[in-house]
Amino acid sequence: MEETALLTIQAPHRVALMALSILLVLIVLELVRREHLKERYALLWLATSGTGLVVGVFPQILVWITTTVRFQLLTTLYAISFVYVLAIILVFSVIVSRLAERNRSLAQEVALLSNRISHLESDDDA
Amino acid sequence: MAKVLVIIPAYNEAESISDVIAALQEQVPDYDIVVVDDGSADSTSTIVRSISNVDLIRLPYNMGIGSTMQTGYKYAVLNDYDVAVQCDGDGQHPVHQMKSIVDGVLEGKADMIIGSRYVADSDYTPSIFRRIGKSLLSRIVNSAVGGGVTDTTSGFRAMNRSVLASFAHSYPDDYPEAEVLVSLFKRGLKAVEVPVNMMPRQGGESSINSHRAFYYIIKVTLAIYISLFKNYSKIHEPNGPDAIPLNEKPESH
Repeated sequence: MEETALLTIQAPHRVALMALSILLVLIVLELVRREHLKERYALLWLATSGTGLVVGVFPQILVWITTTVRFQLLTTLYAISFVYVLAIILVFSVIVSRLAERNRSLAQEVALLSNRISHLESDDDA
Repeated sequence: MAKVLVIIPAYNEAESISDVIAALQEQVPDYDIVVVDDGSADSTSTIVRSISNVDLIRLPYNMGIGSTMQTGYKYAVLNDYDVAVQCDGDGQHPVHQMKSIVDGVLEGKADMIIGSRYVADSDYTPSIFRRIGKSLLSRIVNSAVGGGVTDTTSGFRAMNRSVLASFAHSYPDDYPEAEVLVSLFKRGLKAVEVPVNMMPRQGGESSINSHRAFYYIIKVTLAIYISLFKNYSKIHEPNGPDAIPLNEKPESH
C-alpha cells in the first residue's frame, strides 16, 4: 500500500510540471522572437519542455523508469535531470570551443589582411 | 636564393625588441623579419613601425603564443617562404647561432631544427622548479615519440615548407612547443636538436609563472596523449588543398 503511494505522482505536481514546461516554451519563443536565441539552440530547449509536458501528461513513464531501475521516485527525477543538464553543458562546451577556434582564425585573418592593406597603401604612396 | 623569414612573437617587448631586430639585421641581413605583436599594451608596435625593412602584424587582441606564432606561419605560407625561424622578442635566443639552424633546414638535415639548451656543450642552468617541470615534459614527449628529444620547450626553431604548411593548418593555442613535436612525429616529419646558448632575457616578464605551471603540465600532457590518437593523414599534404594560400581558398558557397 505504502509502496504504491510512493509511486503515484499527484495531480498538483503534474499540473506544476506542465505549467513549467509551457512557461519554458513561451520564454524560449519570446527569446527567439527578440533574436536573443538562435533557432538551432531553441530546438534543444523546446525539446526539453516537450519532455516535461509529456511526463506531465503521462506520469506513468516516470513510474515505469523508477520501478525498472529500483530507485525512489524523487531519486529518478534527480538522476534524469542531472544527466540531462550535464549533457547540455557538455554540448555547450563543444559549441564554445568551436566558436573560440573560429574567433581565433578570424582574428588572425584580420591581422594578416590589415598587414596586406598597409603594404598596398605604401605601394600606392610610392 | 632561398627565402628565409624570421618570425618574432612579441608581447610587451618594447624594452628589448629594437635590440633584437638590430642584432638580426646585422647578423642575418638576408633574412626577412616579421614581428607579430600579440596585442601589446606598450609601444612595441610603434617601435617596430619606426624600424625599416621589418614587417609588422598586429593581432587585434592578446591571443597567446600559439595563435601568435601560427599567424607568423600563415604569413610565411602566404608569402611563399622556404624556411621560417622563430626568434623571441626578449633577446633570449642567440641570434648569432640562427644561421646554423636555418642552414641545417635548407640543407635538408631535418624538417625542423630546434636550438636546444640541454644538448652537450650548451651551458644553461635553469631553476630547480623549471628543471623538474621540463624533465617531466620531455619524459612525456619522449614516451610519445620514441625518444631523442631533450629540450621540448625551446622556441628557437627553424622549419621548412612542410612543417609550415602543417603549422598554418593547425597549431595549439598555448604552450605549443612540446605538443607540436608529437604532431610532427605523427605526420612523419623529422625534428632534430642542435645545442645553443640561451641569453638571459633583456626585458619584459616570462610568460610562465608558478600558478600557470600546473595548468601547463596537465594541459600539455593531455594534448600530447590525445595527439597520438588524432588522424593526421589528411592534414599533411604539401601539395594538397591545405597548401593553398589562405586568400585563394575557393568559396564554398
